[in-house]
Amino acid sequence: MAIDKQSQHSAPSRSLVGDRGWLPRIRLAGQRSLTRYRIPFTRRTWFQGHAVVNPRDLTRQYKLDDKRPWFWIGGLIAALIIPILVGTNLALTAATTFALYAAINLMWMLVIGTAGIFSLATLAVVGASAYLAAWFSIEFGITWPVMLLLGTLVGLLFGAIIGLPALRIDGLYFALLTMGVVELCRVYVLQSRTFGSATGGLYGADTFIPVAWQLKTPGLILGYVAAFAVMLAMLGIYRLVNGQRLGLLLATARESEATAEALGINYQRARFTVFLISSAGLGFIGGFYATYFKGASPSLFSIDQVMLLFAMIVIGGLGRAEGAVVGTGVVVVLDKMFTEFGPIRFIVIGLIMLGVTLFARNGLFGIRDQFVEFRNKKKSERRSGRTEKGGEPLPEEATEIRDKDQIYFRRFDKRLRDHLKTLVTPEVIEEHRLKPLGQHSDPLERVLNYFRGAGGENKYVLYELKANTEYKIIVTTGEKGIPPRDVDSTIYTSKNEALHAVFLKRVQDLMDS
Amino acid sequence: MDMYTLMSGLQLTCIYAILAIGVSIIWSSLGMLNLAHGFTFAASGYGAWWAVTVFGNSALVVFSAGITTGAFVGVLIYFLAFLYIYDKPNYPVRALIATMAINMIGVQFLMWWFGPRMKPLPKVFGFGSIKFGDAVVTYSQFGTIVCSVGVLGILLGWLGITRRGLEIRAMMQNPEGAALVGISLRKTALWVMALSGALAGLAAVLLSQTFFVSPYAGLQPLIKGLIVALLGGLGSIGGAMVGAVMVGFAEALTASYLGGQYVLMVQFTMIIIILLFRPRGISGLLDEAREE
Repeated sequence: MAIDKQSQHSAPSRSLVGDRGWLPRIRLAGQRSLTRYRIPFTRRTWFQGHAVVNPRDLTRQYKLDDKRPWFWIGGLIAALIIPILVGTNLALTAATTFALYAAINLMWMLVIGTAGIFSLATLAVVGASAYLAAWFSIEFGITWPVMLLLGTLVGLLFGAIIGLPALRIDGLYFALLTMGVVELCRVYVLQSRTFGSATGGLYGADTFIPVAWQLKTPGLILGYVAAFAVMLAMLGIYRLVNGQRLGLLLATARESEATAEALGINYQRARFTVFLISSAGLGFIGGFYATYFKGASPSLFSIDQVMLLFAMIVIGGLGRAEGAVVGTGVVVVLDKMFTEFGPIRFIVIGLIMLGVTLFARNGLFGIRDQFVEFRNKKKSERRSGRTEKGGEPLPEEATEIRDKDQIYFRRFDKRLRDHLKTLVTPEVIEEHRLKPLGQHSDPLERVLNYFRGAGGENKYVLYELKANTEYKIIVTTGEKGIPPRDVDSTIYTSKNEALHAVFLKRVQDLMDS
Repeated sequence: MDMYTLMSGLQLTCIYAILAIGVSIIWSSLGMLNLAHGFTFAASGYGAWWAVTVFGNSALVVFSAGITTGAFVGVLIYFLAFLYIYDKPNYPVRALIATMAINMIGVQFLMWWFGPRMKPLPKVFGFGSIKFGDAVVTYSQFGTIVCSVGVLGILLGWLGITRRGLEIRAMMQNPEGAALVGISLRKTALWVMALSGALAGLAAVLLSQTFFVSPYAGLQPLIKGLIVALLGGLGSIGGAMVGAVMVGFAEALTASYLGGQYVLMVQFTMIIIILLFRPRGISGLLDEAREE
């Protein structure tokens, strides 16, 4: 292990090299970069990264390939701790709402983003299982763990019923159908005496919060932590479905359904499976909703609520887990923490939504990709703008050049010439006219040095017709046996005058390049 | 079916047809599902109400103010949700979201500006009623039916005869083809948005003969307009007409025989059943309907 030995014997000097920026990274000693800790029972590593040499101080470092896991961990810990530290009832209720909505949105994101089914019945699945779980709890006295289980089963069943038409109906037509289902549920719940049409909801179900803690801060904290755990579970399901086999199959179908079919992917079945999984998740959330609020209310089926949830996932960015969570956070904070502003807060949410849609291609988390694309576009525009003679090679030209040194030489030469052009001023020319030979000022000397370094091809030289009295300028061809050619018929009478004429011609060529 | 049910069915049919044709034309020519149609509707109602308070109570003021406000809001939506993104990636979804956002902003703005209290519009057709044998038809029902049938007739004639109508029909058939033969997408889209906005304004004035003007007044008409347009098959005017008849009469029949609270339930059940058999609506054939 050569590197290891080196690092033991001669520790690299900390003198800084070059003008590169320095980024803080994890320092490594010896071979530690090769140790990878795996997630138990899988072949995955916790973090993906590799060892690099920091160009600034030449020490070995561990560089993460993907920093998102760190952001996730940091963000989730902050989201868990901050409301508890703030500790007010308002903050805790808002945080619980956030966790619940984020969980719902994650499942919805699976349906819209991964499966590509434009369903609006998400909240209806939650509502149906919340109502049934609450009803069973009130009528038959089932406890809250059973309610969660029951909710999951109801969600699965409900999902199967709604999901089957999705095999046949697509796009906006399916959205309309699901909107119809939501409306049917809402009207039924509002009419039905069994489901509490008189009391504006069904209340009195079993709850996991101890009686002594109810509606007090410890109870709210317990509720928040539980809702957070539900959100984490949904994040896990999202990751497992979207990042694994099912998600990949559906990603192919999103690109082109015909291609997917030709590859033997039964994307309809995959879609239906994802719909069922997400419905089961939503049913679980519904069961949790019933145990947390000790019942269910008809607002679960309102179109306004669906629109607000849609605003959340759109602001974050469709098809991303982080989009669902952060978008939910933004909207819930605006909605719940600024209630004193009345309708204005919805105007603000709408404006954010409109701004994000108009300027960002895919929500807040699509901005990075969009910016990278924009920067690359600008880069290539600039590159294609530099088409002067003898400029640095364009990428497509560069592949044709056998000697790659030429590419770098031309790039360097271009930059050098650009710099020298700034040095050529009337003063410099006047200085050369007065004294072509001898000691010169720094700019003139630099320009002359560049001229001296030119190759033999197309080089202006003096031809002495008569000693010290007649000179003319000729151009060498740079090839053996082929004589130089005349430039013009001007005869110069002194050597200094002729030298300055050559200088002017070279300057002319430099400025033209 | 008695005369009352028939007339209220016809009245609803006419209003839904006006709304649905607006939604349908925008979808097929601009490729945009305009969810801000509800806001256009509510704003037109408020425009008409405001004009009445300023210029006094006359049918001309109510109609012209409602229609002008509708057209103006349509143009506003054109500038906010179409002009900037119509040639950008992911356009259909973004336009849908943008119009939804405009709807949210607009409705909340009306709520904030005018307050949640409902406002009445004057009865432009008067309070009397006509007797056909033993049945009684109110002037406002009769006026609504005559007025909307007339406007729809003029609109369809205009679409069929004039050059501008020809341009709009070309864009409905194939936007790229229309652009290739020199039809300006932007100009025609401006016309389409102003026209559909004006239609929504007219529908707002007509429906406000029966209901009040309120910030949320647009939600139900928007849902109905979408239902009818989708049921008929997006982009098909004939389909929208048939859809309007079905939805309107389903509503009138349910309201008189089952009760008002079951209206949406019956309508949606009907739609779910129809969509299961014809996934692209009544007239939209699977291949001919515009892809998203």
